[in-house]
Amino acid sequence: MGCTRREFIKYSAAMAALTFLGYGCGRKEAEATPDTWVKGVCRFCGTGCGVMVGVRNGKVAMVKGDPNNHNKGMLCLKGALLASVINSPDRLTTPLIRKGGTLVKATWEEALDLTATRFKQTLEQFGPKAVAYYGSGQALTEESYLANKIFKAGLKSNNVDGNPRLCMASAVGGYVSTFGKDEPMGSYEDMDSANCFFIIGSNTSECHPILFRRLAARKQSDPSVKIIVVDPRLTNTARIADLHLPVVPGTDLALMNAMAHVIFNEELDDSKFHGKYVSFKAMVDGKPVEKSLEDYRTFLADYTPEKAAAICSVPAESIVQAAKLFANSSATMSLWCMGLNQRIQGVWANNLVHNLHLITGKICKPGSTSFSLTGQPNACGGVRDTGSLAHLLPGGRLIANQEHRNQMEEIWGLPKDSLNPAPGLFTTAMFAALGDTVRAMLVLCTNPAQSLPNVKKYTANLKKSTKFLAIIEAFADAETLKYADVVFPAAFWCEREGVYGSGERRYCLIEKAVASPGEARPSVNILLDLATRMGVDPKLIPFKNSADIWEEWREISAKSAYNFKGMTRERLRKTSGLLWPCPTEDHPGTKIRYSRGDDPMVPADHPDKYFFYGNPNGRANVWLRPHKPAAELPDAEYPFILTTGRVIDQWHTGTMTNKVPEIRKAFPAAFVEVNQEDAKRLGIANGDNVRLDTRRGSLVLSARVGEVCRPGLVFAPFYDAQKLVNELTVDAVDEASKQPEFKICAVRVSKA
Amino acid sequence: MKKLRQFFTDTLNQITLGRKWLIIPMALAVLALAYFSYLSLAFSGTRCTWGQAQHGEVTDAQSDCYACHKKVTPKIAQDWNESKHGMLLVKCYVCHGLPDGKGAVPFSAKPDAKVACQRCHAPAIERMYTKFGVREGCNSCHGFHTNSLHHDAYAKSVSKQKAE
Repeated sequence: MGCTRREFIKYSAAMAALTFLGYGCGRKEAEATPDTWVKGVCRFCGTGCGVMVGVRNGKVAMVKGDPNNHNKGMLCLKGALLASVINSPDRLTTPLIRKGGTLVKATWEEALDLTATRFKQTLEQFGPKAVAYYGSGQALTEESYLANKIFKAGLKSNNVDGNPRLCMASAVGGYVSTFGKDEPMGSYEDMDSANCFFIIGSNTSECHPILFRRLAARKQSDPSVKIIVVDPRLTNTARIADLHLPVVPGTDLALMNAMAHVIFNEELDDSKFHGKYVSFKAMVDGKPVEKSLEDYRTFLADYTPEKAAAICSVPAESIVQAAKLFANSSATMSLWCMGLNQRIQGVWANNLVHNLHLITGKICKPGSTSFSLTGQPNACGGVRDTGSLAHLLPGGRLIANQEHRNQMEEIWGLPKDSLNPAPGLFTTAMFAALGDTVRAMLVLCTNPAQSLPNVKKYTANLKKSTKFLAIIEAFADAETLKYADVVFPAAFWCEREGVYGSGERRYCLIEKAVASPGEARPSVNILLDLATRMGVDPKLIPFKNSADIWEEWREISAKSAYNFKGMTRERLRKTSGLLWPCPTEDHPGTKIRYSRGDDPMVPADHPDKYFFYGNPNGRANVWLRPHKPAAELPDAEYPFILTTGRVIDQWHTGTMTNKVPEIRKAFPAAFVEVNQEDAKRLGIANGDNVRLDTRRGSLVLSARVGEVCRPGLVFAPFYDAQKLVNELTVDAVDEASKQPEFKICAVRVSKA
Repeated sequence: MKKLRQFFTDTLNQITLGRKWLIIPMALAVLALAYFSYLSLAFSGTRCTWGQAQHGEVTDAQSDCYACHKKVTPKIAQDWNESKHGMLLVKCYVCHGLPDGKGAVPFSAKPDAKVACQRCHAPAIERMYTKFGVREGCNSCHGFHTNSLHHDAYAKSVSKQKAE
């Protein structure tokens, strides 16, 4: 016999192995090994993870984490797949001009001339109030600084705002009203020494995955670390929570006041700290009034845990437990994001988090900090710090303040009192005036036609023939392109060089790794060309590239508390980012602000350990802020609450993430999360089409039934351009920060 | 035993009519039949056909790999879900790519550790190579799906604590 049993078994095994190997036969070649690695920062969220861009044959072959940055080489799924975004074929490669209703290819000369002419005509005819710039927390610092200077100093128009108004204006309002200066006092490093995390209004796990990894690691290294998650949804973040408080959306002011009540009642406050470093304040008839500790305690007497429990619809014991965990830990770190910011009480909610830290003294110490998370990669460094908002000037200065204006006039070499003293229009006001009092607008690196609240109201203005809209954009499928009169193709991400400033005051240089496709150019050069053609004084814009702009901005920063004069371009090239204040070239950067010995802005011989130099009396403010409900509450006609947000895969309006096949397929269309109890009552099954009606619009989305949303709440993400969830959201804004309340509106839910 | 062996050879000879080379395709046919009947029996109705055309159009809530693999390969899916990768939402496609092979990541049931792990774990890989030299992959010691958040993997090892 030619085939023995042994051989037969051998063949069978070989065949079986081959069958399995069949899986691998269709595999592509492994990704090509890059020739060079170029340092940069991730293009997505405000975490600002360092990346190494692997380049092969002039193309981005691979992206990996930067081991020397705070993320220590780690990346979330979006960051790991960044290569497909930059290699996407859907890029704009030539300027476009709208002719007869459609965008047609044009030369740079035509596009620049047309835009400059239209702006000049508008300025002559209607004055500086009729032109506007709408920027982005994704633009480079140099781009934002330059655009801000061109419009405010060059064209004398304060209509300079940006999408950070939709994203973290309330956090700015919170920091400024409590500490006198913007930006967090701590850093991500605090996560490694905190013993309690108070996460409120943030789905850290999906929106800041690498920070979530860091705090999960912290919890695993020490099981005594406690995590409190306050979120009406049972998010992935809540998976590692010791205590999850699913409060009714918009009731967290009552919750935090009740926590303060418990802290005083249980004598868990730090009287040594708040006695020395805190002023109590309240707004009376629109003016801040000094209050005493007794006033504050009387104010809090109204917020018993029982009363707050009834408002928030969580057990009173849980509120007491949260307060005790917060105050009893040796170091507590608070983290929040859009859940607090995108609210008409956004600033107040921010103040109340700071209050908890100030009354317990859990602030400005390692692990003890009040830390606002940011959604965009350069909202902090690019827009907040450069003052590229309608009411700000660079370095935390205010337009309304004459002294601040005069300082900037001197710095920019302008005649005294030449800056426009009236603050410009904030985002929603700017788009509401478009086509009416605002006639020409320049949009840089953002997609307002999808991201504005109650968006139909504003796209109606974008359609007006009385407006002129020029946009600087990298991707051909951005929703706003539909309304643009001129489109400039922009170099994207590491196709040009510039600085990103992340949520922890870390400034990092993105180095140029590859060339931009077609005729796309760096936005800095587009802005410079436009300014020159608009007749802006050449002395104001003596720049050739982003490095020149950085030099000027770095010098200017030395005259403010945002001092980062020590961050030369060379130094940023060598390091993976530095944290300001960083006044000299040998300064290592600052991990903790307002603390003597840590913050170079606090004199070394200052009598007190902590010095809140942002406020005239050197103390931080504890604000007496009462609970107030959301702008639109559910009623008989619209009985549910709609909240909007993100999923880990998709980012903002999806123009970038949808270029990644994996992500596009994992989350192709927007959906709506419905609580299982509600679904049962309404006869909705998983995957059914569900109709959402609000006072502003209707949308049909596929249902995801589960326990994520609390009863009475539905959630929908806003990344899908085909299903614009923002057609449903409300555009009521916070009185102080002018940030819209994306997070809460009343909705009717029915099976479609 | 000898008889049984004789019977087996006889039967084989009868079927193949003495053409011994036929044994190989036959073995293949038998194995393939067994393999596919096993698949269809074990996962009747729930086979993941995501890579196929009609599946590519699915836009419902089940378009995530995990939702389907929870049913098809429950152990692997659950392991992932409870692992650090699952907890931190490092999803299937980040390492495995897409079944239709049209993704940015090459599709593979067993991803190339050199590429897949490199994106996040380059510093750790470098440390391991310096310490132990080149090894096959990472998975033999550091389970991709079984490195749980609940054991002490995040805690610093004794050697590291000493080094500090």
